[in-house]
Amino acid sequence: MTANAEELELKDRLSLIESMIAEGRRTTQSYGWTFVLWGVAYYVAIAWSSLCHYGLAWPITMISACVLMGLIVWLKQSKCGYKPETTKSRAIWATWISMAISMFVLLDAIGFSGRMTDWRIFAAVASTLIATANAASSMILKWKLQFACAVVWWVAAVVSCFGTVNQSSIAFLAAIFLCQIVFGIYLMIRESIARKQEATHA
Amino acid sequence: MPELPELNPVIHGKLRLALLSLLVGVEEAEFTWLRSKTGSTDGNLGAQLAKLEEAGYVAVEKKFVQRKPQTLYRMTEAGRQALTEYVLALKQLLGGAIGD
Repeated sequence: MTANAEELELKDRLSLIESMIAEGRRTTQSYGWTFVLWGVAYYVAIAWSSLCHYGLAWPITMISACVLMGLIVWLKQSKCGYKPETTKSRAIWATWISMAISMFVLLDAIGFSGRMTDWRIFAAVASTLIATANAASSMILKWKLQFACAVVWWVAAVVSCFGTVNQSSIAFLAAIFLCQIVFGIYLMIRESIARKQEATHA
Repeated sequence: MPELPELNPVIHGKLRLALLSLLVGVEEAEFTWLRSKTGSTDGNLGAQLAKLEEAGYVAVEKKFVQRKPQTLYRMTEAGRQALTEYVLALKQLLGGAIGD
């Protein structure tokens, strides 16, 4: 083999490594719909609990959203087939699942113990937990836009601590709208564009 | 003049190199996913994966998911180390030719 042919073969090996690593990491995950789903679930729970004054409105809505999310994930996996998990995607799921468990345990405990005397405490705790998950996720993904969502949730938490009940409610509803519904729809559009590009490359 | 490094023959094979490069980016991967990404046949893929397993570069786990058999491959620490050394050796051999 000539020196030139050998060099070409080595370069070919190097580009093979690069393309395969990129291929392995190119697992466009769908997260957008989860933001929208949880945003809608929060609105349903708020409307249900404030209009009917039903104490179990939050736990029932949250459990229903969990079941619905599990069902959608299962259906998506059955339809799209096997996709390997990357370290990054596992880190993100771990962050959000930990947040969901913490929120479920803490808020239910406060609610059932009868110590949920002020809506603002609930809004501040929930906002802080959601902000934490958004911030951790944004740091894993190195994504400033998601960190901005975390800031919006932290602002909502501070408003809940210092503002009136009305101000707290408006801040909480606005944070849901911006960081769950709008951000979720934006993500879904981005994911759809990425999937089209992936299909073109395939 | 410094001695040029030798390339690891287990990794140098095109399909084995592609497999290790795919596995380095994921936690674990199923046989069918590796087949679709490499465009290889079942027989050839199985043989190359067996060679990587023999060298201790990949670990295999067989399980049943919803009553369907699933064979999962995961890169070992030795595999990661070997691939890193291979890339370094490749870059050293290519020297200034990279980026031409």
